Amino acid sequence: MELLRPSSLDDLNGGLMIHGGTEVVPLLRDGILKADTLVDIRGIVPRGVKGNRIGVGTTLAELEGSTAIPEALREACRLAASPQLRNMSSIGGNLLQSTRCWYWRLKYPCHLHGGDRCHAREGEHREHAIFANDYCASAHPSDVAAALLALDARLHTTKRELPIADLYRLPDEADRHVTTLEPGEVILELELPAVEASVYLKAMDRQRWAFPQVGVAAARVAGEVRLGLAGVAPIPWLLTGPEALDAATPLPRTAWKVDVARALVRRALDRL
Amino acid sequence: MARLIRTEKEVEGRFEEVWLVVEEDPLTQWPDGPLSVVGRDALRQDALERVRGEARFTADIQLPGMLHTAVLRSPHAHARVKKIDLAPALALPGVHAALAPGDAKGLEGEPGYCGAAVAAVAADTFGQARRAVAAIAVEWEVLEAVLDPHEAVRREQFTMPSSTYERGDFAKALESADVVIESTYRTSVVLHNSMETHQSVCEWVGDTLNVYISTQYIWGVRSAVAAELGIPGDKVRVVCEYMGGGFGSKNDPGEYTFVAAELAKRTGRPVRCALTRREENTAAGNRNLTIQKLTVGARSDGTIIALGGEFINGVGWSGWSAMTDGPMQMLYACDNVRTVRHGAKINMPPMKAFRAPGFVEGTFGLECLIDELAVKLELDPLELRRKNYANANDDTPYSSKNLMECYDLARKHWDRRDEVRARSTGTWKHGVGMASQIWFGGGGPPSYAWTRVSSDGRVTVVTAMQDIGTGTRTAMAQIAAEELGVSLDRVTVVLGDSARGPYATLSAGSSTTPSVGPAVRAAAADAKRQIIEIAAQRYDVEEHVLDIKDDVLTSADGNVSTTLEQLLEILENSQILGKGGRGPNPAGMSVLTFGVQVVEVAVDVETGEVRVERVAAAHDVGRIINSLGARSQVEGGIIQGIGHTLFEQRLHDPETGRILTTSLDAYRMPTIADIPEIVCEFVDKPDAHLTNLGSKGLGEPPIVPLAAAVANAIRDATGADVHELPITREEMLRALEAAKKKERRGAPAAV
Repeated sequence: MELLRPSSLDDLNGGLMIHGGTEVVPLLRDGILKADTLVDIRGIVPRGVKGNRIGVGTTLAELEGSTAIPEALREACRLAASPQLRNMSSIGGNLLQSTRCWYWRLKYPCHLHGGDRCHAREGEHREHAIFANDYCASAHPSDVAAALLALDARLHTTKRELPIADLYRLPDEADRHVTTLEPGEVILELELPAVEASVYLKAMDRQRWAFPQVGVAAARVAGEVRLGLAGVAPIPWLLTGPEALDAATPLPRTAWKVDVARALVRRALDRL
Repeated sequence: MARLIRTEKEVEGRFEEVWLVVEEDPLTQWPDGPLSVVGRDALRQDALERVRGEARFTADIQLPGMLHTAVLRSPHAHARVKKIDLAPALALPGVHAALAPGDAKGLEGEPGYCGAAVAAVAADTFGQARRAVAAIAVEWEVLEAVLDPHEAVRREQFTMPSSTYERGDFAKALESADVVIESTYRTSVVLHNSMETHQSVCEWVGDTLNVYISTQYIWGVRSAVAAELGIPGDKVRVVCEYMGGGFGSKNDPGEYTFVAAELAKRTGRPVRCALTRREENTAAGNRNLTIQKLTVGARSDGTIIALGGEFINGVGWSGWSAMTDGPMQMLYACDNVRTVRHGAKINMPPMKAFRAPGFVEGTFGLECLIDELAVKLELDPLELRRKNYANANDDTPYSSKNLMECYDLARKHWDRRDEVRARSTGTWKHGVGMASQIWFGGGGPPSYAWTRVSSDGRVTVVTAMQDIGTGTRTAMAQIAAEELGVSLDRVTVVLGDSARGPYATLSAGSSTTPSVGPAVRAAAADAKRQIIEIAAQRYDVEEHVLDIKDDVLTSADGNVSTTLEQLLEILENSQILGKGGRGPNPAGMSVLTFGVQVVEVAVDVETGEVRVERVAAAHDVGRIINSLGARSQVEGGIIQGIGHTLFEQRLHDPETGRILTTSLDAYRMPTIADIPEIVCEFVDKPDAHLTNLGSKGLGEPPIVPLAAAVANAIRDATGADVHELPITREEMLRALEAAKKKERRGAPAAV
């Protein structure tokens, strides 16, 4: 395996991009990702907060202490992972992380791996989805993505500009991907609108270092209240309002997540 | 003098009647309370080595030319290897040898669980070995697997015969009870997850096998390896200088040792076989699941007159059925007790002993049941426990029991109830709960120690024991220093090598201090006697007027006063050698440990979040040797208990039996942020009948009552009866919902 350190975006030419490595390295080790060439992009993607723009190379540790970003994003960073992981991991990589579904991580031939069933639906699924879970019941683990969804962030990539909601797609029979990123496309910056108020609440096992069972971000942007949820669907989930939880389709062992989400949504809205 | 006795031997709640050669134990116990060195705080002798990374664990052993092993593990819960082809593995770069089923003990041709070892490869690097294992071609015949413990019980598929116990007449007593409560409790599979994974490095030197191993029992490894390989025990040298935890899972050599020994033989090289963290989470042993159907019958004044339980241990493919029924038989005075215990043999990874096996699970059930009874009778849970206090273990007297003193120590923590409940605001409800603890922990013979005193006045204690990580080295040094009258920094303890020291028992069953400690004291006393003999001749006084204290030898009349160094200069190259052995346990007595914990919790009744906010522990384990180390033990047990109570749960796929929680992000152990204030108190009263020390073990007791105390605190806070471990948000919300329904049906709320 070779490791390339290109000096500019123009030098990118294939290979598996890696930044902090907190997700890519474990997936390589487990044989879920395969690569002959790793491309370290730490030197070529923007890093840091400038005005309302955040470089994708900014680490979660840098963001959790930043007063220049909305509270929901700061809290989402602070409550994610452990200090060691936050020191290494970039916000861009966090958006692109894969599900923690144990079946997927253990390489069961599930829908997401190109197979013909979702093992979690009939199997052990207490940490899985309550929305859009009929094809794949995995739960998206990114606290940060839920926050950015509520904050209505826009992404600037090497090819286009898009709202963060458009970065994600539900997997289906024709296309098993959960993002719309094209091969070779690199997210460069996140752009935040003017946010009036925001909050992020997270339910997890343990007080620290756990993925969200349910994460709820709420933000008031241009007078409109937006809700972004983590851990409830195969992708970060935009909730149109508290009543939308009535339309949840929990699995037998994820019904409890609806109760938790209901409480956190109510609290998040109260705090706005 | 050595003596032959017939005695009952207990390890982790398992008993056997054996012949035993024991040493006399003529020393009288020291006076009660903290002494010069014993009973006081002592920093770990190896603290600096540990924090500097200098302590050499098995994982640090690097021998010249050492090969690394990867193990092929069964992907099926039950299957037969029809054909296996090692050739593709052997053809890969760096590969030196490969083993098929049957080539080493533990490599199974008919694996009975997902993760069972089947074949192994040794290569220059671990990566090469892993790639080679992936290249092994296996043709499987998949066999029927039983994963459900109820199904195994229905089929009478057990790992050992079911156990039935009865005293009095349970059924009749139940009929005459004023109140009866029946509840079913469940506990989940939890894992040891020691920091150092299970591992060995094996090296043949001539016809001697050196085994470097992370183990709780170097002598057990020595005899098991010698027996398996058909060589004399003195041709097996077992070394474990430092180890990164075991918690009961490292009492035997494990397949990794036999694999490493065989590969070392075939390659002529030292071979390491170490489990990865993933393997540690699948194939290194576990605390098995339990299902407990419990019944209590009582008079309206709170007198418990009937206790009954049907216990199922979901043991796994092998392992023993631990005493989940023990607490019900032993904790309370109750004339009518009936228990049945089944050890279901299922196609899941085998159980291994885990810090008070059986009693942790059984105490959760029993102590929750007792509190549910207290609610029903509207009695104070502490008073209910005191009312049903047992004064004998069935008919056998205790060697000592100070549980009442533990209750007295707990009183001030229990009295915080009103104050704690008053903190409830909004959706956060606060409450206090308690649970009692009974467990073994008396240790037993044999164990031996040697002492060596040199002309420089320094003392070496040699015993071929292992320090599981609890601070045994330090406790043994304190005992020797106390007996010899010298300061602690003069004493060095040498341990961890079967070729360099006499036999010492295993570090399990809370037995190390009560087993080896008395031998160390006897060895120190032997050396001290010789020093006094020399001094008596040197100063021409009677021996009985001399004593050593604070490194100074003095006579009763004060005429002789000399430092130990001055006295011992005359030794030059001569040495004083002492030896000591562990005496017998008191005949006809039950040696047990006791304690109580009082826990304060906060519960968010909307989100099901549970926080443990304070734990106060009062334990009775006889004399305390190192008060600092003892507090650390209690804190460690409580921290591990909080994990088992709130988060930790090994999950498996119900279809294939494959373990799903294979890494530490899925199998969640507590972090320090989850740990509240912990208050530790000890009765610290020597057991007058137990050895020359009067000390019992403390490794296991603190983890026993924690889960029930948490569940009882939750009931106090919310009125909800938790029936399952771990208390996930799902279980908490279920219990809250059930409590609401009960209230709606008109039953009185608990608070």
